[in-house]
Amino acid sequence: MKRTFRLPNRAHRVSRDVNRELELHLDLRAREFEAQGMTPEAARRAALEAFGDREAIEDEVRSIRESTVRERQYHDWLDELRQDVIVGLRGLTRSPGFTIVALLTLAIGIGANTAIFSVLRSVVLRPLPYTNPDQLVQVWSDYRARGRETPEWLTPPDFADWRDQNRTFVGMAAYQGWGPDLTGDGEPETVGGLIVSGNFFDVLRAKPAFGRALTMQDDDPGTEPVVVLSDALWRRRFGADSSILGRRITLNGTPWTVIGVLEPGFRAPIQAAAPDLYRAMRRPADSRCGRGCVVLRVIGRMRPGVSVAAAQADLARIAERVAREYPSTNADVGVWLIPLHEQLTGSVRRPLLALTGAVAIVLLIGCVNLANLLLVRGAAREREIAVRAALGARRARIVRQLVTENGLLALTGGALGLALGVAGSRVLGVLVPESVRRVQEIRFDATVMSFTAAMTIIAGLAFGLLPAMRAVRGNLIGSLRDARASTSSHTTLGKGLVILQLSLAVVLLFGAGLLLRSFLAMQRVDLGYRTEGVAFASIAFPQARYREPTRFSAATDDLLARLRANPAVRAVELTDLPPLTPNDQDVSVVPLGRPVSDRTPAVWYRSVTPGYLSLMRMRLVAGRQFTTAETQGAPQVGIINEEAARQLWPGENAVGRAVSLGAPNEPPLTIVGVVASGLHDGPNQPTKPEFFAPQAQFPTRFITMVLEPSRDLAAVGAAVRQALREVDPLIPAPALEPIEQRVGDAVALPRLYAILVGLFATAALSLAALGVYGVMAYTVAQRRREIGVRVALGADPAGIRRLVLGRGARLAAAGLVVGLAGALALGRLIQALLFGVSPFDAATLLAVPVVLGGMTILASWVPARRAMRLDPVSALRED
Amino acid sequence: MPGSDLFTGSLDILILKALSWGPLHGYAIGRWIRQTTSEVLAVQEGALYPALHRLERKGLLEEEWGLTETNREAKFYRLTPAGRKQLKQEAARWREYSRVMTIALDAVRA
Repeated sequence: MKRTFRLPNRAHRVSRDVNRELELHLDLRAREFEAQGMTPEAARRAALEAFGDREAIEDEVRSIRESTVRERQYHDWLDELRQDVIVGLRGLTRSPGFTIVALLTLAIGIGANTAIFSVLRSVVLRPLPYTNPDQLVQVWSDYRARGRETPEWLTPPDFADWRDQNRTFVGMAAYQGWGPDLTGDGEPETVGGLIVSGNFFDVLRAKPAFGRALTMQDDDPGTEPVVVLSDALWRRRFGADSSILGRRITLNGTPWTVIGVLEPGFRAPIQAAAPDLYRAMRRPADSRCGRGCVVLRVIGRMRPGVSVAAAQADLARIAERVAREYPSTNADVGVWLIPLHEQLTGSVRRPLLALTGAVAIVLLIGCVNLANLLLVRGAAREREIAVRAALGARRARIVRQLVTENGLLALTGGALGLALGVAGSRVLGVLVPESVRRVQEIRFDATVMSFTAAMTIIAGLAFGLLPAMRAVRGNLIGSLRDARASTSSHTTLGKGLVILQLSLAVVLLFGAGLLLRSFLAMQRVDLGYRTEGVAFASIAFPQARYREPTRFSAATDDLLARLRANPAVRAVELTDLPPLTPNDQDVSVVPLGRPVSDRTPAVWYRSVTPGYLSLMRMRLVAGRQFTTAETQGAPQVGIINEEAARQLWPGENAVGRAVSLGAPNEPPLTIVGVVASGLHDGPNQPTKPEFFAPQAQFPTRFITMVLEPSRDLAAVGAAVRQALREVDPLIPAPALEPIEQRVGDAVALPRLYAILVGLFATAALSLAALGVYGVMAYTVAQRRREIGVRVALGADPAGIRRLVLGRGARLAAAGLVVGLAGALALGRLIQALLFGVSPFDAATLLAVPVVLGGMTILASWVPARRAMRLDPVSALRED
Repeated sequence: MPGSDLFTGSLDILILKALSWGPLHGYAIGRWIRQTTSEVLAVQEGALYPALHRLERKGLLEEEWGLTETNREAKFYRLTPAGRKQLKQEAARWREYSRVMTIALDAVRA
């Protein structure tokens, strides 16, 4: 009687075996001594003595034995794995069709999930690149009580009060945009900059790469004017010259001393283009600009452990006190704190989460598909498995074999998916507007890798475990006798899975339909101004050399005259703020005789040349256009849009009214015309009340040329460069920006979301079609005999086809009912992403069943035809 | 080898030799060594067991649980093909060694 090598998997089993072996030795040896005439006790003692140090020997043997057992278990495990892998690979290569479909499904599913997740992780889930970023908040004024729905910047005196009187902040820093001209050292160039309060870098806890950052001392107007450079500007403009510290550079014609260069990884906490340099504010915060002038953006660092709500309450208390003290300016001005992370990434959070959900659904459908295919395969392999069981394979061993085979699939699919994901991540970077990407760079990090690995494992388990469990459930030997014993439950489960797939596909189809219709609706929107055939070019006359308005208005006239003389330019007009510009400026338009109340609506201000409105094809609805007669000295005039007219003089005629801009002591001007309202900020943004002033009467140092080319844009670019060189060679030549590009950018994200969800829905639908086909084909194959009998009894082939198609239709109907319920819930979730379409959009609700029905019929067609052409004789002769 | 006065490796060869006629349990191996070497070599009987387990670990022996003549469960050892090969090599080496030693020790002054 023998036993093969046992696997003592516990240490005590090793001890027991060793002890038993040595005990046997001692017993037998003692018996030998007894045979020589010793008493049992003496024999035992003699045996022990002959043996040596029993305890030491036993310890030694045990440790050798333990490592032997460990090694053997490991070897056995490796051996089995190797066998499983070989058998698995053989199985997979035997059915290349299945393998290719499975791998593609997994690679695309995992790849798309990885790519979308990498974007979500980079932008939404990763903390901002600052020390303790959760303590940082954007501090805004809240004018909602005055009917202004968006947060507002702070006035310098309010900032000073909030900064000095709060109890919940470590520090509060203010900043403003700055675009100085950098001259000397090569071509003149307009650089982007920030004017910051001295504690700006301290609040962010940012250290320079070398030199020093700005400090509170630099805010003193009496100190030397200094700047801190970004790493990018230092490399680009100064060739990474390490002796830059102490060097004077010329900004807007005045010298500034470089005191530091920032780390390459430093990110300004703003959505605008990364600033090239930073300077201190250099003036007491409350000078010149009073409580009516919202000019400061503010960022604060809360004390450790302080919640946003507590900080909000703290500042609100101060704001209330200020409002009591200065009711004319500060009544109903509240505090609006937005965590910096939300401030910078909030716009893409929801779309990214929606896309993550959509792509997860695709993978889920893919897994369901694989599970289904494996079930069908499993059914076909029942005999094989039964044979193996009959030959003595343990149940766990068979499950392991099947799991290994599926694991091979999952791992290969996961590896392919990872490669796809890395590529896709780059492409999908554009999902996130550059403004967000500047702060939260899109990268592939360890978390994304772990996510992919986890998804691969989960996917492997999801599609592999169920069929494997099923394959060995029940009577293995029984299925050897009758392979068809459990087929009916196979098909029931399979059908359930297909219905699940169909309903998920319905959800995605519906979402894609809604987003597509939103995008189309957005494209159809009449923006109220010209959207093709003109291009913008913006310049600024630097303050240092153009202090007086006469100087820059003369330069502007000169530039305009030169451009108009150039045959490459068919028309050119000026504005200070073209449509679809992210920043905007407002002004109070106060009807004459009406007191400046807190309720005076803010009106968005543009200064334009007389031909601007007609060049931009803005429709005049009342009054007249500007003329060239409106110059300095002539009576001042303005044009407003319908929205402004509606807010200022509801139901009345606006033309001929006298208003003042801002303070009541400004000279009054007359409204001479009303234009149709345009959507200045893009199709999905609200209509703004707008005020247009004639540029000749309201000159500005910032101008945007609106150019209509005679022939091509390149010639216009050359014309602008030439004219500018003649007017002022120190002003950098601007880039030409076609309006088509701006319009395109405004709908780029909605278009991308629609395309992506559309792609996901297509993938989901194709996978679901595959699922339907699989189940129908399987059903037909299983019921060959029954169909054969029907045909033999004279059933009409078309009737057979109807039978099969009817079964497909029933699946589709079930999927549709479940799916539409989910889809309606989804509609509400993505409501914020929709434009001009209801989350219960009827057209989409009607289209989805049509698409799904068509797909189901297509997918069942081939199995139906196979059933129709079945040869009853051979079908009945089988088995 | 701790607890053994045997020349290095000689216990291993004796074990392999003992098993060359078929599976034996530890005690039987020890008894055979004692008897055939006239108890000259056997000093500490316990030293046999670490040696057995090491040979098993190296894959020269394999175990097999069975019953003794007195119907007690015991661990039997059996030579593996590798063990048999090892025995052959080692035996040849020892024979050569002892031949040379004998010649050297029997030598008379020339």
